[in-house]
Amino acid sequence: MARTLAMFTDVSLCIGCRACQVACKQWNQLAPEEPEWTGTYQNHHHFTDKSYRLVRFFEETDDKGQIKQWHMMSDVCKHCAQAGCLEACPTGAIYRTEYGTVNINQDICNGCRYCVSACPFGVVAFNHDTGTATKCTFCNDRIHNGLGPACAKACPTQSIKFGFRDELAVVARKRVDELKTLGYKDARLYGEDTAGDLGGLNAFFLLLGKPSIYGLPEKPKLPQKNVVVDSLLSIGSALIVGLGALVAFRGRGGQGDA
Amino acid sequence: MEPGLLKSADWPALIDVYFFLGGMAGGAFVIATVANLLDRERYRDIVRIGYYVAFLAVIPGPVLLTVDLGLPTRFLHMLMVAKPSDAIGMDAITIGPFHLKPFSPMNAGAWALLGFSLFAFLAALDVFLEGRGGRSMRTLRVVVGVIGGFFGFFLAAYPGVLLGATARPLFIGAHWLGALFLAIGASTGGAAIAFVLSLSGGQRGDALSRLMRFTAFALIVQLAALALFMLTVSTSGSAGIARSLSHLVAGPYGVPFWLGAVVIGIVVPLALQFAGVIRKTAPAMTALVSVLILVGGFVVKYVIIAAGQAT
Repeated sequence: MARTLAMFTDVSLCIGCRACQVACKQWNQLAPEEPEWTGTYQNHHHFTDKSYRLVRFFEETDDKGQIKQWHMMSDVCKHCAQAGCLEACPTGAIYRTEYGTVNINQDICNGCRYCVSACPFGVVAFNHDTGTATKCTFCNDRIHNGLGPACAKACPTQSIKFGFRDELAVVARKRVDELKTLGYKDARLYGEDTAGDLGGLNAFFLLLGKPSIYGLPEKPKLPQKNVVVDSLLSIGSALIVGLGALVAFRGRGGQGDA
Repeated sequence: MEPGLLKSADWPALIDVYFFLGGMAGGAFVIATVANLLDRERYRDIVRIGYYVAFLAVIPGPVLLTVDLGLPTRFLHMLMVAKPSDAIGMDAITIGPFHLKPFSPMNAGAWALLGFSLFAFLAALDVFLEGRGGRSMRTLRVVVGVIGGFFGFFLAAYPGVLLGATARPLFIGAHWLGALFLAIGASTGGAAIAFVLSLSGGQRGDALSRLMRFTAFALIVQLAALALFMLTVSTSGSAGIARSLSHLVAGPYGVPFWLGAVVIGIVVPLALQFAGVIRKTAPAMTALVSVLILVGGFVVKYVIIAAGQAT
C-alpha cells in the first residue's frame, strides 16, 4: 500500500463559505437538489446522494439558552481505517484503495443499502436513480492524477488540508497547541489517533468543543465488532433449541405433553 | 450516538417477509432432520411435511431479495467480485471469482441461502420420491439433513446478526437478535408443520403432541431471548438508544409489539399448551394455535425491524 492520504479539517479556520460544497458538486457532477429548511444556514440536513460535502452550522448555547458560540464545520466521509460500510458490503463493491481511502465501485454495488445503515456517521447515501450507494471518494480521479480533492483545493482559508496522513497529523497536533495557548481550552483532535476509535479516521478534524456539538458521535463504534458475540449467542440459542428438539422427539410412545 | 445523524437502509416489508420465511424454513428443516434421525417411521409425516415446508418457504427468498435489488444479476454480486481479498474487508476470502466475508452477515447469509436451498431441494425431492413409492436412500437423507440443518440454523439466525452489525441505535448494542431470530425460526417452523399436520389429519400416535411440546419449548426460548434483547438495550445507557426502545414498546409499534408479538404470539399459545387444552382438543386447536404462533413470529420481526429503522 502506498502512503496513506488524509484530509484534515480545522474548524477554527472555517468561515462557512461553502466553496468546498460547491466545488464537490461541480467536480463530481452532482445534480442540484431542492433546498431544505434546517433552521440554520446549513443545507441539507445531512449527506445525500448528491451532497458528499456538507458545511454544518451549529449554535452552541449556554445554560440559559443564549447563543454562546457559532460553530461551522465542513463535514465529509471519514474514510475510516476500520470502515463500517466496507465491512458490511456483501458484494465487495466497497473497497480500500492503495491510498487507504474507501471507495464504492458503482458497477459492482447491487443496491442492498446495508452500508447505509452500517456507517457510524450516516455518510453513505442511496441514489434511487442508479440504485446504488454513493459517497465521497476523496475525488478518486483527482488524487490518482496528483491533484488534491476539489473541496480542499477550493477552500479559501485552508480549513481543509489534504496530504499524507503522518504529515498532516503533525500539523494538526501543533495547531491544537497553538489554539490552546490562544485560550481555546476545549480545542481537540477528532479521529487523528490511529490507535483510537475505528483505527483512526482518514478525514480527521480539529474541533473547538465536544464532538457532540458538531453532531459527531463521542465514541464511534465499528458495528461488525458485534458479529462474534451475536453469533456466539445465536449458536447458544441453536444448541438449546436443538437439545429441546432431541428431548421432545426422543423416547417411546406415551403422552408428549408439557 | 445521535440517531438523527444516522441513516437507515429503509428496507421494505418484503425483506421482513424473507427473514420470516427463511427462519421458518430453517426451523422446519431442523425439526424434520431431528425427527428423521430419532425415528423416521414414527415421525414420517413430520419429516415429510417439514422438508416440504422448508423447501416451499425458501423458494420465495431469492425472488424477494431480487425484487428489492431491482435486477436479477445483482444478486450474483453478493457472491462474486473481482477484487483482492485484502481490499474488501476483515478476513475476506476470495476463491476464483467468488468471495466470502465472514464479518458481513449479508454476504455469509447469501451463501447460506444458496446452500440451504440446495439441501432443502434434495430433502424435499427425497421425501417426494419416497411418497411416490420410490426408495429413500436412508444414509443420504441423514447426510442431507445434517448439513442442511446447519444451513437452516444459519438461515434462521443470520438476519438478527445482520441487524446487530448496523449502526442503528436499537440494534448496535442489542446482541440477542440472532438468538431471538433463531428461536422464532424454530417456533414458526414447528407451528408451520403442526398446522399442515393437524389439517391433513396425517398425524399418528403422539407425534403431533410431541411437535407441539417442542414448539412450546421454542416459544419459551423466544420469550427469554426477547426479554434479554430488551434488557440489554434498555441498560445501554444512551439516550438515543432508549428513545429507539421506547419507540418499539410504547410508541407507534407498542400495540402490535405487546398484543401481536408477546400476547398472541407467545403467551396465549404457551398458556393453551400448559393448560393441556391443545392436547385435548387437537387437531382443531393445534391449527389455531399454530396460526397464532406464525402471526406472532412475523409481527415480532416486523416491529423490531420497523422500529429500528425508524429511530
